[in-house]
Amino acid sequence: MLKLWGRLNSINVMKVVLALDEIGLPYERTDAGLQFGVNNTPEYRAMNPNGLVPTIDDDGFVLWESNAIVRYLCAVHAAGRFWPEDPRVRADADRWMDWQGTTLNPIMVPSFAGLVRTPPEKRDAAAIEASRTKTDAAVGLLDARLEGREYIAGGAFSMADIALAPIMHRWLNMPCERTPRPQVERWYASIMARPACAKNLTRPIT
Amino acid sequence: MLRIFGRLSSLNTQKVMFCVYELGLEHELVAAGREFGVVDTPDYRALNPNGLVPTLVEDGFALWESNAIIRYLCAQHSRGDLWPEDARERALADSWMDWQQTQLQRALHPELHSLSSDPGRFTPERIEAARMRCETLMDMLDSRLGQVPFVSGARFGMADCAMAPPVHRWMNLAVERGTYRAVEDWFGRVSQRPAARKTLPAGARHGS
Repeated sequence: MLKLWGRLNSINVMKVVLALDEIGLPYERTDAGLQFGVNNTPEYRAMNPNGLVPTIDDDGFVLWESNAIVRYLCAVHAAGRFWPEDPRVRADADRWMDWQGTTLNPIMVPSFAGLVRTPPEKRDAAAIEASRTKTDAAVGLLDARLEGREYIAGGAFSMADIALAPIMHRWLNMPCERTPRPQVERWYASIMARPACAKNLTRPIT
Repeated sequence: MLRIFGRLSSLNTQKVMFCVYELGLEHELVAAGREFGVVDTPDYRALNPNGLVPTLVEDGFALWESNAIIRYLCAQHSRGDLWPEDARERALADSWMDWQQTQLQRALHPELHSLSSDPGRFTPERIEAARMRCETLMDMLDSRLGQVPFVSGARFGMADCAMAPPVHRWMNLAVERGTYRAVEDWFGRVSQRPAARKTLPAGARHGS
């Protein structure tokens, strides 16, 4: 059975959980990272020298980097469904997945970590506000993207929606001010109506 | 014809151009970003609302995010060669491309990039922390390349196009560096390729 290492409050682990549940693959998950440790053991580092979560072991094939795992699982088990066969549609999905990793997540981290993982007396208010403002603007790009499109890569739910769902769930549940984004909210409601998201994106963000 | 908006001093543009030359694609490089401007114009933002370089335009299809462009071009023009057909080999290429983007490139920027363009912008402590982070990452890449001749395995592929520019940048920074024999061996082979010669600036010239 496919093995997954990672804690559920990591958005990168949650991408993989959603991919597995959307596909309907059985798997065995071991908590790892932050308070669970594991990711600093020599055994884990032998699998994943980068030492982050998630990591998967698919019948002896070890893979890390969350978007690479989502692409792999979707290509092997859901080609033509979550992994678009058309190169341009797939490139569209890829682009928004990369944007999540290169742009959206790095700018959101300071406000998320500050507001959710830092006690009030230790917060850096200026850093939180700078991050919140930039994130709010970046979400505007996604809102424009979703104008006239049901899902991120077009008319069909794809790996891009899987990769963006956890971070958008986080953003929309952070205790901060947000510009109303009707397209993002409409997309989020439709994603949350899917069994995999309804089952997994339930707990308060931590 | 392909149009690529970007500047050859940008790592992300270098990655895409390395790939374009490897594939031998007819193209036009339109200077954009930094001193060339363009990226803040409404026309450019209509192609790329994120406002960075590079952007690829092919028959009305606009694509941005450098690694997404590399995957797309290789899938279109080099299936089974630069774009591995085997799902696991491709996943390893993808994984190292994601690592290049989310780990290595982020370790180089902004502190180490500033050494040539804006020296004095960061404290020596910040610079040293970034340098140490790069050493750790080079150690990882060195282990990988000690096991396989190219980033995704036995053959040169799309992941090598993405990895060579940031490694080249690191090797040309005016900082202390450890010895990474497997990385140096790999870079020696990859940088001899005609596409690399056309893309990577000679010697220690850096943009950022």
